[in-house]
This record gives sequence, structure tokens and C-alpha cells, in this order.
Amino acid sequence: MKRFPELKPTKWDALVVLAVVLLALGLAARPFLAARTADALTVVVSIDGETVERMPLERYEGGSYESRGYTVRVAAEGGAVRVAESDCPNQDCVHTGAISRAGQSIVCLPARVAVTLEGASAGYDVIVG
Amino acid sequence: MKITVRQLTLCAVLAALALALSYMESFFPLALLVPLPGVKLGLANIVTLYALYALGFPSALSILLVRCTLGALFAGNLSALLFSLLGGVSALLVMALLSRAKKLSIFGVSVAGAAAHNCGQVCAAMITLGSSAPLYYLPFLLLVSLFTGALSGLVTAFLFRAMAHTPYGKEN
Repeated sequence: MKRFPELKPTKWDALVVLAVVLLALGLAARPFLAARTADALTVVVSIDGETVERMPLERYEGGSYESRGYTVRVAAEGGAVRVAESDCPNQDCVHTGAISRAGQSIVCLPARVAVTLEGASAGYDVIVG
Repeated sequence: MKITVRQLTLCAVLAALALALSYMESFFPLALLVPLPGVKLGLANIVTLYALYALGFPSALSILLVRCTLGALFAGNLSALLFSLLGGVSALLVMALLSRAKKLSIFGVSVAGAAAHNCGQVCAAMITLGSSAPLYYLPFLLLVSLFTGALSGLVTAFLFRAMAHTPYGKEN
């Protein structure tokens, strides 16, 4: 026996819980504080880290992406995107549901597909001339 | 590292137990309850936590490496190796560090380990995908780890009470 642990919770354990909660809140704050401005969002679809599609959300009509033997169908409606259908084994991407804010993502790990919403600052609103 | 036959045997039994627990875990898919990629009970962390206190850091690390390598081999999935290694090693490092704090109980150490495990796995997902997208899931995974970490802390506390009659379950 190297070191015998304290087997009953102590008040210092609450500090660990607090630290984890603060870390979670800090990480969650960015996408949730972002305004829900659908017209300024950009849909970015990447496969294996390479961007295969980048389009303003208002013009994005969804699409099917094939990768690693899986087909991931992304649908756009009402200022949000979601993975409508996927033949991957765990279906995590479908269960993630719809995303509508800058910084939010849907990941399909078996297919290596990531769908991310970027804020207005990441692209151009209008290109004139 | 000097190691007795008794310690070596305990390491082997614990590595087998960790493998069995990782396999058993697939029968209780927590992901059905909380639909997030990578959500699981993390039962194998019970073994890491126990080994850390009972046998020390080097033995706990060996058990972890054997579990990850054999687990990936048995599952025939080498990309899973990166996930279990990054998750497992981060959890072990954080727990080894925090177990030195005498004021923390096994629960605090376990919760921190579970949280570190999730951070490691999200890192692995970011490397595999080549994108920072998995980071979006981390806050939710961290909140779930409060419960799974407390659960494995509870089980490990029971384990120490049940082992109190052996040299690997009492203060010496």
C-alpha cells in the first residue's frame, strides 16, 4: 500500500467540483453568448480536417457527404443546421440535434465529418465590386 | 522499479479487470441517456484509481498501458488507441498529482480524473478530425464527468473497504 486514501468526501472535494464546473461554464460561454443572428452565420463542413464546403447559412440548402464508407446527410431549416441522417454506428451526430449559434459544431467521428457554424467575423457579409 | 511477485500478480489481475470493465461498459450505454459522443461510465478508471493508491504511479501506468493496448487489439480498432491513451494518461497524471493533496478524498481525486479523461479524449478527437469542432462538446462532457467521477470514486471507496483485510487495502 503506497498511500491510503481518505474514503469520505471532504469539503475540499467541493473545490474540485467547482473547478470542473467553472471550466465547463467558461468553455460553454462562447457559443452560448453569441447572438442568434442567422443571417451572419457561415456553415463550414470539413472531412478529415479539410474544408469541403463553406457557405452562408441563408444560402446553404443542406447536402450529403460521403467519407470512410459512411454517408452523412446535413439539412438546413429555420436558421439552423442538423445532421438529418447518417449510417454511422453510434448516431451521435444525429442525436446532437440542430445548431444555430456561432461556435457550435456537430461531429460525426466515425465518418470524420465536422459541421461548424462560424460567426460573421470569420467571413464576408457582402463582396462589392 | 523493484517489484515483488505478489505486486506483479496484482498488476496482472488489475489489468485483466480493467479490460473486462471496459468491455462490460458497452452493455450500459450511458450515451442512450445523454446523447453525446464519448459519453461513458469510465469504469476502467476505478482500476487506475485503486492501483494508484495501492501500488503507486509506475504500476498504475503499466496497468493503464496494458489495458489500452490490449483493448485496442481486441477491438481491432487502432484509432481507438489514441482516444483511450490520451484519455487514460491525462486522467492518471491529474489523479497522481491530486492524490498528493492530503485534504482531498478519493471522490475529489476521482472527479478530477474523470474530467481530465474527457479533456484527453476531446484532444484525441480534435487530432483525429483535424478540427476544433469537438471542443464544443467538452462542457457537456465535463458536467457528466462530475457524476461518473463521483460514481467511480464511490466504487473505489467500497473496494478499499472490501480489501481492508489484505495488505493492499489498509494503512501500513
